[in-house]
Amino acid sequence: MKASRSLYRLLLRLCPPDLRREFGDEMEALFLQSLERARGTARLRVWVRAVSDVFRHGLGARRDTWDKFRKTSAYVEYETGGWWMDTLRYDLRHAIRAMGRQPVTSLIVVMTLALAIGANTAVFSAVHTVLIRPLPYDAPDSLVMVWEKREAEGVMNNSVSAADYLDWSRTAQSFSSMAAFTEVTADLTGAGDPEKFPMAAVSSPFFDLLRVRPMLGRTFAPGEDLFGRNRVVVLGHGIWRQRFGGDAAVIGRSIMLNGNPYQVIGVLPAGAAFPHTEAQLFAPLVLFAPDEPPSRTSHNFGVYARLRPGVSLEQARSEMDRIGKDLEKTYPQLSRGHGSYVTSLPEEITGPVERTLVVLMAAVVFILLIACINVTNLLLAKAAGRRREMAVRAAIGAGRARLMRQVLVECAVMAIAGGAAGLLLAVWTVRLLASQLPAVARPDQTVIFSTPILLFTLAMCVVAGLMAGVLPAWHMVREDPAEPLKEGGRSPASMKKALRFGLIIAEVALTSLLLVGAGLTLRSFQTVLSQPAGIETDHRLTFRLGLPGARYRGSEAAARFYAELEARLAAEPMIQAAGGTMLPPLTGLDGRRGVVIENREVGPDDGPTRAHPRVVTSNYIQAAGATIREGRGFLPTDIESSLQVAIVNDTMAKRYWPGASPLGKRVRFTDQEIWREVVGIIGDVKHWGLDAPVNPELYLPSTQFPTFAMTWVLKTNGDPLALIPIAQRHVRELDANLPLFQVRTMEEVAAKSVERRKWTMTLLAYFAVLALVLAAAGIYGVMAHLVSLRVPEIGVRLTLGAKPSSVMRQILGEGAMQAGIGLVIGLGGSLALMRGMRTILFGIEPTDPITLASVGVSLMFVALLAVAIPAVRAMRIDPIAALRQ
Amino acid sequence: MTQDRARFDRFLPLKPFVLDVLLELADGKKHGWALIRDLQQRDGGDRILPTNFYRTLRALRDDGLIEEARGDANEDGVERRQYFSLSTLGAKVARAEVKRLEALVVDPRVRRLVKAR
Repeated sequence: MKASRSLYRLLLRLCPPDLRREFGDEMEALFLQSLERARGTARLRVWVRAVSDVFRHGLGARRDTWDKFRKTSAYVEYETGGWWMDTLRYDLRHAIRAMGRQPVTSLIVVMTLALAIGANTAVFSAVHTVLIRPLPYDAPDSLVMVWEKREAEGVMNNSVSAADYLDWSRTAQSFSSMAAFTEVTADLTGAGDPEKFPMAAVSSPFFDLLRVRPMLGRTFAPGEDLFGRNRVVVLGHGIWRQRFGGDAAVIGRSIMLNGNPYQVIGVLPAGAAFPHTEAQLFAPLVLFAPDEPPSRTSHNFGVYARLRPGVSLEQARSEMDRIGKDLEKTYPQLSRGHGSYVTSLPEEITGPVERTLVVLMAAVVFILLIACINVTNLLLAKAAGRRREMAVRAAIGAGRARLMRQVLVECAVMAIAGGAAGLLLAVWTVRLLASQLPAVARPDQTVIFSTPILLFTLAMCVVAGLMAGVLPAWHMVREDPAEPLKEGGRSPASMKKALRFGLIIAEVALTSLLLVGAGLTLRSFQTVLSQPAGIETDHRLTFRLGLPGARYRGSEAAARFYAELEARLAAEPMIQAAGGTMLPPLTGLDGRRGVVIENREVGPDDGPTRAHPRVVTSNYIQAAGATIREGRGFLPTDIESSLQVAIVNDTMAKRYWPGASPLGKRVRFTDQEIWREVVGIIGDVKHWGLDAPVNPELYLPSTQFPTFAMTWVLKTNGDPLALIPIAQRHVRELDANLPLFQVRTMEEVAAKSVERRKWTMTLLAYFAVLALVLAAAGIYGVMAHLVSLRVPEIGVRLTLGAKPSSVMRQILGEGAMQAGIGLVIGLGGSLALMRGMRTILFGIEPTDPITLASVGVSLMFVALLAVAIPAVRAMRIDPIAALRQ
Repeated sequence: MTQDRARFDRFLPLKPFVLDVLLELADGKKHGWALIRDLQQRDGGDRILPTNFYRTLRALRDDGLIEEARGDANEDGVERRQYFSLSTLGAKVARAEVKRLEALVVDPRVRRLVKAR
């Protein structure tokens, strides 16, 4: 009884407060009295009545309070205002019953709409999180990234060196704070199995800058990113739950990372996400050791900053330009040509996927249209069977508006059922979608069930219900109600046929648009994959090493280190070849410089003569699997004091020595006096990605061109990951303080360079197949229905001597005609629309004839297949039975 | 008179339940509980829904069809109870509704119908 009392009290909260204050106790007493009197199942009835009473009259009493004009509705018998709601309730009940009467049709409609609404919801949730919703940080518009700019090399977003970052953060006034970041790997040992995790190394203002507060403990204090104080770690929520059992006592505990003890000082809240890393471990970024100044030559860091209130992006840019110029003056050798460039962080994050999301959104809207057309067709077919029902309703006084509303309510109910099922599909689809979206703006299940997405889905349901329902509804009520009531009333099939053919045409046109879009991305992807990378990617491990400039001053020390490392690695039995390169292939890391070609006349129309320098060790070309086309590779004998040599790539050879061999010719950098002799030509290697053009590249031996950061490539015939400990051991033996960055197999590097393309292609292919299936089902449905309507006619023709095959041909011909018209419209439309896809295509034009032709053929084939079944059925009609009918 | 008529015409026709409440109060002032008890006795069973009943009571009071009345001090010493009585307007509305029902009953068509049984 006590539980009932509190439950009823809770229920009474639906009543307006004043009513509750005045009469609440008495209402409760009255309810408890009836409950006490009731026994067994009667108690349940009391409860049901009480709930409905409170819902109806409690909420009604709220309306009494604000709506003075409706006040009388509390006791006047014939409520004037309630009519609409009452009939709506009637319509709803009727709609649900109507669905139950035709379960198969209703199921098909609901499923069709579920697929379309689910796809729309999933893609919209991505569009919402990435493009509409602000980033999940406080005041995200004031967040920026600061890059190193090398205007002469055409590079605006180079990684930043430690020294530059420190100088910027000390002098720049435009920012309230600035933080550097890089991603490393950490071996977590001790608690549980040893495991490798990505770890973000961040300078101490990082969390404060993004205004991410810890859930437990604290984040880094100023000064904790200095050598000696840096053995502290902040845990992400995920790793804290998985590896540390969500234990709050983890704070203060020591964990082993890369063999060193780190004290856990904080845990981040669930859902904390960061712009360029998915790391779950955060350690202070130590920018320099005590005995050496920060490096200006090793560029490894991303830099985030927050604009001071009132400072615009432009102001920050001009201030950073000035600081860049000052640094250039202070360090003429190291900073020459290096400036800095400020970009908006939200744009950095969402920019790369924006166009793809727009294309995907267009694709799912098309799917919704196709689904609506299918549903319209189905309902039109159903409408034929309901003409009598509608006529009877009209005859006993239902107005057209009333009938129309009833049909639309039926559609809305099915659409909402479809939307509910669609939400479940969306949860699944969004997982597929999310993988390539930036971690900070990645939709998940919780996004699907957030208010804006639910509202969007509801709106989709209403729109879909209206779109699909309005034609059939109009069709049903348009007719003279007397007509269907007459015995053998003729159905107005001619009008219906034209309408339905129009729908087939629209459906085929929309589907062909989607297929062309998917086909183009598929062909692009194939083209990309078929591009030669210029290297081999299998059985190769890569990792990056940065030498601190202070300890490896001059080319001598660095060259010695590289030679030693190369020799040690090559001596390992598991390693077949090992070599280093300043800029690894397929990663987008690059820089370029002006060069002078000896004896080359530069015409007025020629662009600037530039080449992208690639500094490599002597065995790199072999280790990476690149090919020497002519001449020779680098040799251990190419040392600082010997002849200065260079290797050019195919593109450079063709561009700067057209029709001649560059071997033996000389080249120098614009800003250097040293001439280098070309000793070889190397096959083009893709550095920006398989889909990026190759530029003139000038390979230089690391012995003759000092460089401080190199990516090493190790070739093996076994598992490349097994080389990691070997590489770590040798590096540690040469220099105990040198961490390995970006440890990946070359296959991972290659896959990563095409993964976004693959993602776009997969999603579009998935949507195109969905559209094709829906369209095929739609065409089949319409043709089957038209054949069934024409059974008597076909019967007459067969009796009069028409051949069954000619009947079949006619049906096939009609279907093919509609599909053909739709195809022509669709392909024509694609010529206009696909221009918007140009930026995400590669190697083919949006008007690619092969794509258009194969879409035409395959769509026609599917359409004919869908028509063939009803056509064959028409051929087999028994004339006697048909005439009797 | 016409003005007065317009004033209570807008309450008509009354829900049977509302008419019941007004008729009960025509016997004299009553508090909520007594009203419910009497209504239940007339009606048999507990068909009265709490929220509906008190919502109606409040609306009737707000519209001036019934009034709050002072209770008898000696009836229930401790418990403060809210008494209601029929207002002049309420009485007029109730009378108009009864007349409307009467007119319906004396309709010759109704007589024919009743006779036919």
